[in-house]
Amino acid sequence: MDFFRWDIIWDYRELYLSGFLTTIILTLCGYIGGVIFGLLLGLGQVSNKKWIYWPAKIYIDVFRGTPMLVQLLLIHLAVIPTIFGESMSWWVSGIVGLILNSAAYNAEIFRAGIQSIDKGQMEAARSLGLTHSQAMRKVILPQAFRRMIPPLGNEFIALLKDSSLVTVIAGAEILYVSKVVAGTYQRFWEPYLFAAFLYLVLTYTATKIIAMVEKRVDINYNPRKKRGTHK
Amino acid sequence: MKKNKLFKIIAPFAAVTMILAACGADKDSTGASTDDAGKITKIVAGTEATYAPFEYLDTKGNVVGLDAEILAAIGEEMGIETEIENTGWDAMMSQVTTGGIDMGAAAITITDERKETYDFTDPYYEASLLIVTKEDSKIEKLDELKDSKIAVQMNTTGHIAAQELQGKGSKNILAYENFSVALTEVLNGSAEAAIGDNAVILEYIKNNPDSGLKTIEDDSFEVDYFGFMVKKGNKELLDVLNEGLGKIKENGKLAEITGTEIE
Repeated sequence: MDFFRWDIIWDYRELYLSGFLTTIILTLCGYIGGVIFGLLLGLGQVSNKKWIYWPAKIYIDVFRGTPMLVQLLLIHLAVIPTIFGESMSWWVSGIVGLILNSAAYNAEIFRAGIQSIDKGQMEAARSLGLTHSQAMRKVILPQAFRRMIPPLGNEFIALLKDSSLVTVIAGAEILYVSKVVAGTYQRFWEPYLFAAFLYLVLTYTATKIIAMVEKRVDINYNPRKKRGTHK
Repeated sequence: MKKNKLFKIIAPFAAVTMILAACGADKDSTGASTDDAGKITKIVAGTEATYAPFEYLDTKGNVVGLDAEILAAIGEEMGIETEIENTGWDAMMSQVTTGGIDMGAAAITITDERKETYDFTDPYYEASLLIVTKEDSKIEKLDELKDSKIAVQMNTTGHIAAQELQGKGSKNILAYENFSVALTEVLNGSAEAAIGDNAVILEYIKNNPDSGLKTIEDDSFEVDYFGFMVKKGNKELLDVLNEGLGKIKENGKLAEITGTEIE
């Protein structure tokens, strides 16, 4: 008997491919939604208005303070069926869960990024006649954004890995496929090792893309110079 | 001086590692305990305790249910101490192979595929699959579920039956970690039907008479037999279990526990 039976992975290649794509789609949708919603929450958290600050603050504390696994089960099995009378597909619950969870983490990144910009920047912008929101959009956020890229990249990678939790609501992503294969053959090395490999491929690719973006927004970046020649 | 400091940092970790290693070693040796003559004196079984009435946890966290009762009855008959641990399904499978536990007792259906990797005792329960739908559903037989969403427990016979109906890669099969979630999905409307073992479904409906679910029998389901699972080639343990099973079949204890006759 060969120690590793890769043929069982090959037999399930179609399922693995669709699981791979599912993981990507879940993560991208969750992340994009999470960044947009997280930005609003982050701005809410630096707001001076109490009725904006407190809801944002409580939301972030609740979603950062509870496990995503619990949130997913709660959303899929309780919240959505209660609101809509029936539960929708795991796609809906999965993406909603990922958005709500990553928004809380992204909000903290935005808050930290905004607060890291010197107070003088806002004061200077306001004294030039910009309104608070104009100053935010045109002066503070562009500067803060550059500092946010590394943590936002981390959050993307964390979310990519956390998307495997959607498996509990029968979301057919990479881990789900591996569990099906493991259960069919009662062999654990091959399916889970292959799942780990697929996640590694995704996170490695993501790391490379994030590094590229980071370089692109570097203050010393000069598109006219050849790669590597700038400091 | 520096070396000393380093040691102080490492020492607690080293101690913890050693303790863990000792526990680990201890764990390995809990495989079937034997007395001096090599006779089995204690059996540790693994299970997945989310499958009432076969195995579930009582309010104190002990594994109870039909499998636990049958195993205890066999132990009593054979003069062997038995213990049942909630290991989870996949962990149970792998630990039977590696020897962390002696056997699996979790309403395990005896299948030809599983027989390639494990040995099974004589059957102790006869089960058949049932379809569960909402009371107002128009479904009447299995064939009508060909294009519907079906909720099952992952890697159970219900899952296999759904795969046979719709194909292995079907996107309409929703496999959950446990069967109660699958039933909830039928109630919540994200699946048209669930397929699972009769005893579990009937127990659920008994406990939830107002659930609004109905069951459908279908002749195309094959009858399944549950057996205890041991590591392939562990003939000694298999013989002990079969002998005990034979005895409780004979004296009517098995029928008393399961509420049904077998063979």
